[in-house]
Amino acid sequence: MVSPAIALALLPLLITLIIRYRYFFVLLYRAVLIRWVRDCLSGLSREERAFQYILTHATPGDSQSILDTFDQWCSKVEFISNIGPKKGKILDRLLQEHCPITVLELGTHCGYSTVRIARSLPIGARIYSVEMDERNAAVAEKIIRLAGFDEDMVEQIVRPSDEVIPRLREDFGVERLDFVFMDHWKRCYLPDLRLLEDSGLLGEGSIILADNVIFPGAPNFLRHARRCGLYEVRVHRATLEYIRGIRDGMAELTFLGVK
Amino acid sequence: MPRHKLIASESDVSVEVEDEGKDNEFSIYYVEVEENFEGGKEKQATRDGKRRRVRNSEVGRRASEKRTNEAGNKRAEKKHDKRHKTARKEGEKHGRKQRRKNADADEAEEESGKEKKNIKNERTKTLKLEDEKEKDVKKKRKKHVKNEEDNAKPEKTKHKDCHDMPLKEKKKKRKKPETISESESKSEPESQSDSDSESKDNPAVGVLGSLTPEELEKLKEAVDERKKLIATLRGKPWPMRKKLVVLRESQEFVEKYEGALGKGKGRKLYAYKVMMMKKWMKFQRDFENFKTACIPWEMKIKEIESHFGSSVASYFIFLRWMYGINMILFGLTFGLVMVPEALMGKPYGSLPRKTVPRGEEASAMNFAVLWDFGGYAKYSVLFYGYYNSQRAIGWLKFRMPLSYFLVGVGTVAYSYMVVIRTMARNANEEGGGDDTSFNFSWKTFTSWDYLIGNPETADNKFASITTSFKETIVEEQESRKDDNIHLTRFLRVLANFLVLCCLAGSGYLIYFVVRRSQKFALEGLEKYGWWERNEVNMVMSLLGMFCPMLFDVISTLENYHPRIALQWQLGRIFALFLGNLYTFIIALMDAIQLKRAEEEIVKKNMTIWQANLYNGTMPDNSTAPPFTAHPADVPRGPCWETMVGQEFVRLIISDTMTTYITLLIGDFFRAVLVRFLNNCWCWDLEFGFPSYSEFDVSGNVLGLIFNQGMIWMGAFYAPCLPALNLLRLHVSMYLQCWAVMCCNVPQERVFKASGSNNFYMAMLLVILFLSTLPAIYTIVTIPPSFDCGPFSGKNRMFDVIQETLETDFPAWFGKVFSYASNPGLVLPFLLLLVLAIYYLQSTSKTYKRVNMELKKKLQTQNEENKKKNKLAALKAANELEQQRSNSASDLGVNEESSSLDEAGHHRQAGHNGRFIHPSQHTQNSGPPVTSTHTTTRTPASRGHTSSGHLPGHPHQPQKNSHSKRR
Repeated sequence: MVSPAIALALLPLLITLIIRYRYFFVLLYRAVLIRWVRDCLSGLSREERAFQYILTHATPGDSQSILDTFDQWCSKVEFISNIGPKKGKILDRLLQEHCPITVLELGTHCGYSTVRIARSLPIGARIYSVEMDERNAAVAEKIIRLAGFDEDMVEQIVRPSDEVIPRLREDFGVERLDFVFMDHWKRCYLPDLRLLEDSGLLGEGSIILADNVIFPGAPNFLRHARRCGLYEVRVHRATLEYIRGIRDGMAELTFLGVK
Repeated sequence: MPRHKLIASESDVSVEVEDEGKDNEFSIYYVEVEENFEGGKEKQATRDGKRRRVRNSEVGRRASEKRTNEAGNKRAEKKHDKRHKTARKEGEKHGRKQRRKNADADEAEEESGKEKKNIKNERTKTLKLEDEKEKDVKKKRKKHVKNEEDNAKPEKTKHKDCHDMPLKEKKKKRKKPETISESESKSEPESQSDSDSESKDNPAVGVLGSLTPEELEKLKEAVDERKKLIATLRGKPWPMRKKLVVLRESQEFVEKYEGALGKGKGRKLYAYKVMMMKKWMKFQRDFENFKTACIPWEMKIKEIESHFGSSVASYFIFLRWMYGINMILFGLTFGLVMVPEALMGKPYGSLPRKTVPRGEEASAMNFAVLWDFGGYAKYSVLFYGYYNSQRAIGWLKFRMPLSYFLVGVGTVAYSYMVVIRTMARNANEEGGGDDTSFNFSWKTFTSWDYLIGNPETADNKFASITTSFKETIVEEQESRKDDNIHLTRFLRVLANFLVLCCLAGSGYLIYFVVRRSQKFALEGLEKYGWWERNEVNMVMSLLGMFCPMLFDVISTLENYHPRIALQWQLGRIFALFLGNLYTFIIALMDAIQLKRAEEEIVKKNMTIWQANLYNGTMPDNSTAPPFTAHPADVPRGPCWETMVGQEFVRLIISDTMTTYITLLIGDFFRAVLVRFLNNCWCWDLEFGFPSYSEFDVSGNVLGLIFNQGMIWMGAFYAPCLPALNLLRLHVSMYLQCWAVMCCNVPQERVFKASGSNNFYMAMLLVILFLSTLPAIYTIVTIPPSFDCGPFSGKNRMFDVIQETLETDFPAWFGKVFSYASNPGLVLPFLLLLVLAIYYLQSTSKTYKRVNMELKKKLQTQNEENKKKNKLAALKAANELEQQRSNSASDLGVNEESSSLDEAGHHRQAGHNGRFIHPSQHTQNSGPPVTSTHTTTRTPASRGHTSSGHLPGHPHQPQKNSHSKRR
């Protein structure tokens, strides 16, 4: 029988853990518990709830308004791991610097990042947005249309990314990718990067931007990118979207060309 | 390639080159003229005449030529005289001489400058000799030219002189034109003595025929120079790539030619010398390595330092230092107390105090003895109670009780001495003055930790520097605004309040537990389980483990620099541990009182028992010895000293175990889990939630310090403690080194541990003081047990001193001692000591102030100098600009003046060689800045600034190169 004194002596440990990892507890609460409760109550998926909120609160055709509403919903109501406003600024800056013509987006999810990319692209540019989940893709399509981007601008592909990438050239006639944005399963970052290398779609100066490389993290991806020598790697440090205390980063890979 | 480097590396050679620049310039024409004449098969006489004419025309120039050649001439003549002696010896000597000369070229220059006037007189006096010299001069000049031409145009190597030389030598020649020309000028007198007319063609033959030792000399010299170059390469202001190339080339050169040197006996000698030198160097290097290897764990610590920065390494250095101290303590107790008792004292079982009592015999060999130190371990030399109070033991008449007492006092005294000495030495290193005045410069120039060798750590450091820059900028802005200072202050106060609450809570918890354990002890421990029995230890180690973590979390509120945060953290944990320790001591004191009460009862019972024994075993006759009871059966007192020692040993052991287990679970298993679960986990374990642990500097340092405090406290009652501690430190050195390298990650904010060592020392001193207090208190106030330990039967432990004084020393010594310990003498002495300390302290304060003022003065002076230099540089730049524009405007005038300068020479050249004149002209008129321009201008610019010579300087070599190419 453990005496109460020993249990009390463990109190500092408990307090320490709670204080140190408070943001993770908050994240756990918001991303898992609330979601579960709401799923049970409403019978809708999280993405559909988000769409309902946006439909009722945002101005159709105004991409900025849609993005703001999205941010509001994610920070006030529920949590969806979009790219978020702060990291989105980095994305915007990169897009404005490089003015890509062909953009590949892996992981559309709700279409937040697609809208964000599409609004800062030059005229005539084209986004190929890959999403595996059909329900999410449907929501994303609605949101993209709501923001006023048509099919010429955004081409949605509802298939797993590892099937899409090797067939991009044949099926969609893509010759070169100027910009690749990765925000799907963190585990798929590395295999997809390899596929991209093999496909030959990357040209010199192509940018690959990978979100969430620190939290939840894609260590193998980063290690490969640093070691293989094909890329110039920069990690933009930031915090996780909608939660301040968790550090995160985006990896910007500039393809240097085949040796 | 290597040639110009070689020259560049040696100032003497380059000086000569510069000095002879004019001669070269002139001699070019001369040689070409000569060649023309050669083609025409002119007579020697006419040539001589022409030479004289030349000499006449360039009176001003001659002096400088003269001096360079004079040295060579003299040497050559000397050489010539000695030629008939054994070549080898001579060669060696000469080689040395020449080397010296090369090294002292500047001095020679000055000497020759003095000689200038004498030369003229000499010339007028001895014309014939002069003539010869003149010839030498010319030959030498010619040689020069040929060398230069050799260098500039390799295809021109088909000169007569060079033609029959072996290729190797030619190469050498190209590498070292100066030495060759000199040595060849040496050779010339020989050829001259043969025939004047053939003087031009013959030297080469002479070189081949008789100059092989000379060549060897040169070779040797070149090799030596290479060696010198290799030795001094590190200090050269070259880029690293160039250094590497030069080093490799020089090493190859040395390797190649070193073996080929010498012949016969000399060669062997030389080879031997070289071999010995190499062996010596190797030995020296090995010895250095050996010395490093002799410093225990040096390599390990360096490795850790390179990976984790100096703050983590400072812990290990401290640990090593502690190990050294404990080694000495162990040597004292082991050599002067434990070994004599084990060897010479009465053996086990001879006395009740040296025997396991009957009641404990059953469990005396249990496994628990290993960590409880009961049973046989309790009744051994490891503890106080085993020692006998016999005054002298063995054939050595070893004074055991006295030795025991003196060792106990001596260990503490030694520790005080060492700690204070180290503190004083460290204090010298830190300078006064506030470092906050140039915050950004400090950050820019000193924030890199040059001991980091790991790319990841370097990345971390890079990141931390950038963040710290950001932070500093933000801080600066904040301080300008200074509205947030209240918030910071509030947060700091709040943090301290929280920490105080934690401390109070933990103190109360320990107090509660100790009280409870006393209750348990009174009721008998047998009724309770393991948890209750070990409650105090558990609670104490748990609190000691987790409270620091809480403090760490709280300290993020305060937003201090990590170094200051570390000190705060150290202070807080210090308070926590101190509280724990003193609670423990107070509990111990209570236990001692209990034991003493028990002892009184035993004492009374003892007499009854003895009387019973006496009555029972001694019926009538007294043939049998009076006491036949086995020592194990004899009733005995509780012996509080052994109890105290045992408590300390247990504490140390449980502490060590806790540390190691924490290390194993908290670091190793965590690292293993993170590492291998990371492949199949939904987030990044390495960067995210558990991640790898960081090395906890403050906790470890304090653990070490408190451990040492317990050793100091308990060592008097348990002589085995230093040995145990030594073992612990040894193991933890290896274990922690391994754990750090294998399971920890570098801290996110790697910082330098400057000055933290003294902080550790200060804490150690405090702990030493605080731990000697209870030990001294018990020694002085509590009478020792009546039936165990070296002081049994005495009223107080320190009575042993008095006893020794009375019995072992002559009577007068005791008298003197009693006089000396008279308060009338002691008090003034103490007063004197206090005064001396005060005096020394005030003087040191004064010195410090003076130092500070000096520092300030230096700073201001520096600033002034900086300003002055800036002004001067500006001025010089302006002036240079002006002169540039001036020179650009009146180029023609300059040209004329330059042509006037070399008028005689031009005329001469114009007469004899037709190619020369135009080329000379182009040289003068081509770029606006030429040799003559610079000579007119340099004095003006040199007057203003140290960089004034810059405009003139670079043209000198340029001119040389011009002349070389021609």
